[in-house]
Amino acid sequence: MTPELLTQLLADVEAKRTVVLCTDLQSGEARLVHPYAPEAGLDPALLQACREAAAVDRSQKWERPAGALFLRVFHPPVRLVIVGAVHIAQSLGRMAQLAGYDVVVVDPRRAFATEQRFLGIPLSNEWPDEALRRLGVDRRTAVVTMTHDPKIDDPALAAALRSDAFYVGALGSKKTQEARRERLRGQGFSEVEVGRICGPVGLPIGAVSPGEMAISILSQLVEKLRKPAGSRPA
Amino acid sequence: MSAEDIYHEALVRLSRQATGAGHLEAPGGSAAVDNPLCGDRVTMEVRLEGGRIAALAHQVRGCLLCQAAASMLGRLGPGSTGGEIALARAGLVAMLEGGPAPTGRFAELSVFEPVRAVKSRRRCAVLPFEALGEAVARAGR
Repeated sequence: MTPELLTQLLADVEAKRTVVLCTDLQSGEARLVHPYAPEAGLDPALLQACREAAAVDRSQKWERPAGALFLRVFHPPVRLVIVGAVHIAQSLGRMAQLAGYDVVVVDPRRAFATEQRFLGIPLSNEWPDEALRRLGVDRRTAVVTMTHDPKIDDPALAAALRSDAFYVGALGSKKTQEARRERLRGQGFSEVEVGRICGPVGLPIGAVSPGEMAISILSQLVEKLRKPAGSRPA
Repeated sequence: MSAEDIYHEALVRLSRQATGAGHLEAPGGSAAVDNPLCGDRVTMEVRLEGGRIAALAHQVRGCLLCQAAASMLGRLGPGSTGGEIALARAGLVAMLEGGPAPTGRFAELSVFEPVRAVKSRRRCAVLPFEALGEAVARAGR
């Protein structure tokens, strides 16, 4: 790897861009491929291989007639934006951190989003759409709304639906979800877009306590991340 | 008291008018006030001339009550002094706590009378007055 390549790679990591380092296993020659913002004139087969490696988040050898390449995937960390500094968010935030995710809890209601209640979890008192704009929601970002207040949840969901977020979840009963979908349709979101929202949120494991709810949500998030095609429709 | 009772037509209309929503080009003072319990946030920008509000603009992130109160200030605020705004605010608070509706220039604050019944929502209507008062104070310094 040349110093120039390393500099570019570090810049990509810093900018939270997914990048694949492709190294020729015979010559040692290396190049970078951005699977989601591909360079012009890139070999389509190589791009496809890089996209597949990125999708499964696994570095791997890629055999081709001209010799094997090793595809090393550099992903930005998975991020979870929790909107609503509620009880379940306390459990979900800690569990997601244990899973290795970058977590931020967003709630303009300062009385809820306090350090004492969310020890060690980054907090933001911005309105969620402002926070999501600042954070830059990408395909490695999950957004879950939990305030039960449409004034706060709806702008977050609208921003999430306009992004590449891999997971959009919304706490609330079936009845709440239907009213919410109706409001979002009223804002011009299509049936398919609104259908991206997982709600009632979480896998149906019969969760009752806040901790169990967190497990159910986190499980669904992992499923969307790791088995996007196999996921049940919401 | 249900949401329909608080959000009566006059209030909805007032909030939709959003008079004064936006920014001033060169504000003499500005202040942001939020309600930590519900997240509502009002930023007021003012320009004073001769001790009176010559222009104001506001940005509201909040509920309909908060928007309606800001909208009312967008219309009635210009021409007022800081003292008159403080008086209007005191009148609004007194009404929400059970007193009579204010009279005079801010008599139409009576549209917020139904909010009296829902204690947790009272501050939503007061928030824009707090922000404007602080913005005027800063502009006068």
